Amino acid sequence: MSHLLAQLFPPSVLRPMELGADASILLGGLGIVLLLTRLRRWGWLWREWITTVDHKKIGIMYLIFAMVGLFRGGLDAVMLRTQLAIPNNTFLGPEHYNEIFTTHGTIMVFFMAMPFIFALFNIAVPLMIGARDVAFPKLNAISFWLFAFAFVLFNMSFVVGGSPNAGWTAYAPLTELRFNPGVGENYYLIALQISGIGTIATGVNFLVTILRMRAKGMTLMKMPLFVWSVLITSSLVIFAFPALTVALALTMLDRLFGTSFFTIAHGGMPMMYVNLFWIWGHPEVYILALPAFGIFSEVVATFSRKRLFGYPAMVGSLIAISLLSYGVWVHHFFTMGAGAAVNAFFGVSTMLIAIPTGVKIFNWIFTMWGGRIRMTVAMLWQLAFIPTFVIGGATGVMLAVVPGDYQFHNSYFLVAHFHNVLIGGVVFGLFSGLYYWWPKMFGYLLSERQGKWAFWFFLIGFWVTFFPQYLLGLKGMTRRIYIYPHGLGWSPLNLISTLGAYAMGIGFVILVYSVVYSWRHREPDLTGDPWDGRTLEWSLPSPAPEYNFAVLPEVTERDAWWEMKQEGRSGKVRAEDIGAIRMPRNTPVPFLLGMSFFVAGIGAVFSWWPIAIAGMLFVIALLVSGWFEEHDHHDIPAEEIRRTEAALGRLEG
Amino acid sequence: MTVQAHPAQQTQMPLEFRDSHETLGILGFWLFLASDVVLFACLFAVYAVFHGRVAAGPTPLQIFHLGPVLTETVLLLTSSFTCGIGIFMMRRGRTKALMAWLALTMLLGLAFVGMEITEFTTDVATFGTWHQSAFLSSFFTLVGTHGGHVSFGILWAAALLVRLWRQGITQATARRVYTFSLYWHFLDIIWIFLFTVVYLSGKIT
Amino acid sequence: MSTPHSPAAHGGEEIEIALLAPKFEEHAFPWRQIFGYAASLVLTLGALLLVERHVLAPTALLVVILALAAIQAGLQLGLFMHLRESAGATWHVVTLAIGIGVAIGIVIFSIWIMTFKSGVS
Repeated sequence: MSHLLAQLFPPSVLRPMELGADASILLGGLGIVLLLTRLRRWGWLWREWITTVDHKKIGIMYLIFAMVGLFRGGLDAVMLRTQLAIPNNTFLGPEHYNEIFTTHGTIMVFFMAMPFIFALFNIAVPLMIGARDVAFPKLNAISFWLFAFAFVLFNMSFVVGGSPNAGWTAYAPLTELRFNPGVGENYYLIALQISGIGTIATGVNFLVTILRMRAKGMTLMKMPLFVWSVLITSSLVIFAFPALTVALALTMLDRLFGTSFFTIAHGGMPMMYVNLFWIWGHPEVYILALPAFGIFSEVVATFSRKRLFGYPAMVGSLIAISLLSYGVWVHHFFTMGAGAAVNAFFGVSTMLIAIPTGVKIFNWIFTMWGGRIRMTVAMLWQLAFIPTFVIGGATGVMLAVVPGDYQFHNSYFLVAHFHNVLIGGVVFGLFSGLYYWWPKMFGYLLSERQGKWAFWFFLIGFWVTFFPQYLLGLKGMTRRIYIYPHGLGWSPLNLISTLGAYAMGIGFVILVYSVVYSWRHREPDLTGDPWDGRTLEWSLPSPAPEYNFAVLPEVTERDAWWEMKQEGRSGKVRAEDIGAIRMPRNTPVPFLLGMSFFVAGIGAVFSWWPIAIAGMLFVIALLVSGWFEEHDHHDIPAEEIRRTEAALGRLEG
Repeated sequence: MTVQAHPAQQTQMPLEFRDSHETLGILGFWLFLASDVVLFACLFAVYAVFHGRVAAGPTPLQIFHLGPVLTETVLLLTSSFTCGIGIFMMRRGRTKALMAWLALTMLLGLAFVGMEITEFTTDVATFGTWHQSAFLSSFFTLVGTHGGHVSFGILWAAALLVRLWRQGITQATARRVYTFSLYWHFLDIIWIFLFTVVYLSGKIT
Repeated sequence: MSTPHSPAAHGGEEIEIALLAPKFEEHAFPWRQIFGYAASLVLTLGALLLVERHVLAPTALLVVILALAAIQAGLQLGLFMHLRESAGATWHVVTLAIGIGVAIGIVIFSIWIMTFKSGVS
C-alpha cells in the first residue's frame, strides 16, 4: 500500500506549485460539472458533441483542446523564463526545471500545434472542396478522441506519478530505465503513441477526402492553396509518423519489457533512437509549417482582393519542400559525428529547402503588390509572418553550415531559431487562420480592435523574447540549463528575454478576453461571407448546416466563389434541386475507444498489466463491433432541407 | 485533360467498385498500407543496424533454422494464393466457394502463427530472452510485429466469414473482403522481405 | 424520390492524368493466381538454394536475393493485389510509390548514417 502511494505520489507531484495547480484543476472541474448540471446540459453535451461525427464540430473541439494546450504550454514557458530572468535564481529547482521544459515542448508540438492544424483542416477543408463531410467521419471522430484522451493522459502526469523530464525529444539514455526510473517518461511514450495512431488516421482521412470528394469541376489545379497544403501535409503525416511510432515503441519496450535497443549495455545504440526520432521530426516541422503556408495563401489573396500570384509555383514549391523534408534529418545531430560525407550531404539538402521557401515568400509579396489591402487582424499576422519567417529561415541556413553547427549546436542560438520559425511561421499562421475562419465556425466576428492589441503585444513580445536569445547563444549560453552565475554577460539579455515572454503572455490573455468579449457582444454575420472571400466555404451560411451544401456546387474556375460572385450568382439554391441527403450518424464508439485506450494507457504507464490488458480487450471489442455496424448513416428528407434552407434565407424565389 | 470513365465500363466493374462511397474505403486502406510500409521500413532499418550487435547472446547463424522457416514461408505463400482464389470466386458471385477459400486462408494463417510462436518459445528456451542483445531485441520485434499483423488478419477474416454467412456477397461485404485481401497479400510481401533480409542473409557468411 | 445523395455523390471519378487511369482485368480461369503462386514458390526456393550453395560472393549474393524478393513483391502486387484497379484515378499507386521510396531511403540512409566509426567526431 505504501509502495503504491509512493508510486502514485512521488515528491515531485507534492510540491506547492503542483498542489496549487491540482486545486485549481479540481475547482475548475467542479465548476464545469456544476454548471452543466445546473443548465441541464449533459444530454446536450452527449448528443451534440461527444457522439458527433460532424467535421465542423470536431474541428471546434480540436480548437478548444489546442487553446488549453496553448495555455498550459505557455504557462510552462513563463515559468521557465521566470527562473532564467536573473542569475542564481531559486524559483525552480533543477528537477522541476527539467520537467517544465519537457512538458512545455511536448505540449506545444503535440497538444497545441497539432490539434490546432487539425482544427483548421476539419473546419475548412470539406467546405472548401464542396463536400458534405470528410471521407471517413467516424474515423475522424476516433482520431479526435484518441488525441483528446492522450491529451488528458499526458497532462495527468504532474498530478499522479510525476512528469516526464527528458526533454520533448526524449533522447536515450536520458529515458533509460536505469537512469530514469519513475513513470514520467512512460506517460510521454504512451500518450504520444495513442495520439500518433489518431494522427496517421487523420492523414489518411484527409488524403482520401481531397483526392476523391472534390466538387465537380474542381480539378487539382483549381483547388484552393490551403487544400493543396493539407493534401501535401497529410502525405507527410502518413510517411513520417510511423518512424515516431517505432521510436516510441522501442523506447517503451526498453523501459517496460527489457529489450536492449538504446542501452549501451548488450550492444544497443542510443543514437539509433535519435536517428529514428528525426526521421519523423524533420518532416514534422513541415507538417506544422505547410498548413500555415496554406492559410497565408488564402488570407493574402482575400485581403489583397487579388488572385494568388504564381499559383503553379506555389503548388510546385509545396511538393518540393515535402520531398526535400524527408532528406534532411541528420542536421539535427551533425555533432554525432557521422562523418564528413554524411554531414555534407545533409547540410546541402537542408540548404536546398530555402529555395522553394523563398519562392513562396516572393509569391506572397507579389500577391499583395498592386492589391487593395485591408489591414484586418488575419492580414496583420500574415504581414508579421513574412519578415519573421525570413529571419528564422536565414538562421536555419546558418545552422545548416556543418562547421558552424558544431558551434551553434544546443546553444540558445538554436532555441531562438526554432522558436523563430515555429512561432513566426506556425503560430502566426494559426492565429491568422483563427481570425479568418472564426466567423465561419461561429457565425460572428472576433473583435478586430482587441485582436490588434493582442497582435502587437504578441509580436513585440516575440521579438523581445527571442532576439536576445540569438545573442545569448553566441555568448555561449547552452540550452536546458536551469541556472547561471553572475558575470558571464548573460544577465541583461536574459532579463529582457523574460520581459518579452511576459508580453507574449499578456497578448494571449487579451486574445482569450477578446474571445469571451466578442461572444458576449456578438452580432450575427448573416451574409456568411464577411471578408468578401474567394473560396467555396464563404458561399455557405455561418455556421454551415449539418449537410454543408444543400446542392453540391459545380466549379469552373480557381477561386470558385469569387468567380460565381463576378458572374452575379448568389449562394442560393432552387427548391426543386434539393434531394434527400445521406449523412453519417452519431456514434458513441469513438469516445469509448478513446476511453479504452486511456484505461490501457494508465495500465501501461504504471505497469498494472491486468488493467492494460482489460483496456486493450475493450479496444478490440469496439473494433470488432464496428465490423458489424450496419446503420452508420441517416437520411435527411428533402422537405427538411428545404425548411432549413428557407429559414436561412437560402432558397431562390 | 479530363478522361471520363465510360458508362459501360461502370457496369462491368466488380461489385466492390460500384458504390462510389464504398470505394473510398479501398483507397483509404491502400494509403494505410503505404504508411505501414514505412513502419516496417523503420523496423528493418533497426534490424539492419543492429543485426551484428549480438553482445554475449547468440548470432544469427546460431539462431536461425531455415527448415521451419521455409515451412512458414510456404504456408504464407499458399495462404496468399488461396486468398487470391477467394477474390476470384467472389467476383463470380459464388458465396460458398469464397467462404471456403477464405476459411482455408485463415487456417493457413493460424498454422503460420502457431509455428512462429513455437519458433520463438524454443529460441527463448535455448538462447534466453531479447534482453541479451540489440540483435535479439530487433529480431523479435521485427518478426513479432509481422506476426501480430497476421494474428489481427485472422481475427478480421473470422469476422468477415460471420458477415458473409449472414448476408452473402453484397457491395458492403465485397468491399470488405477486397480490403482484407489487400492486407493479406501485403503481409505476404513483408514476409518475403523478412525471409530474405533476416533469415537468408543471416546464413550468408 | 431519388436515392439519397451520399457525401461523395460524384467525387473523384474524373481522371486528370491519363497515366493514372484504372484498368480491370478478369479471366474465366484463375491463371494469374496460379502463375503467381508457382512463380513465388520458384523464386523463394531459388533464393534459398543460392544461399545454401553459396553460389556467389556474400555481397553479390545479397543483391541477388534482394532482387528476387523485389520481383516476388511485384508479382504479388500485380497478380494478387490488382494494383491497377481503382474507382477514379489510381492515386494509391502514386502513394505506394512514394511510400516505397521513403522506405528504401530510411533503410539505406540509416545504415549509412549509423556506421559512424570513421571520420570527424
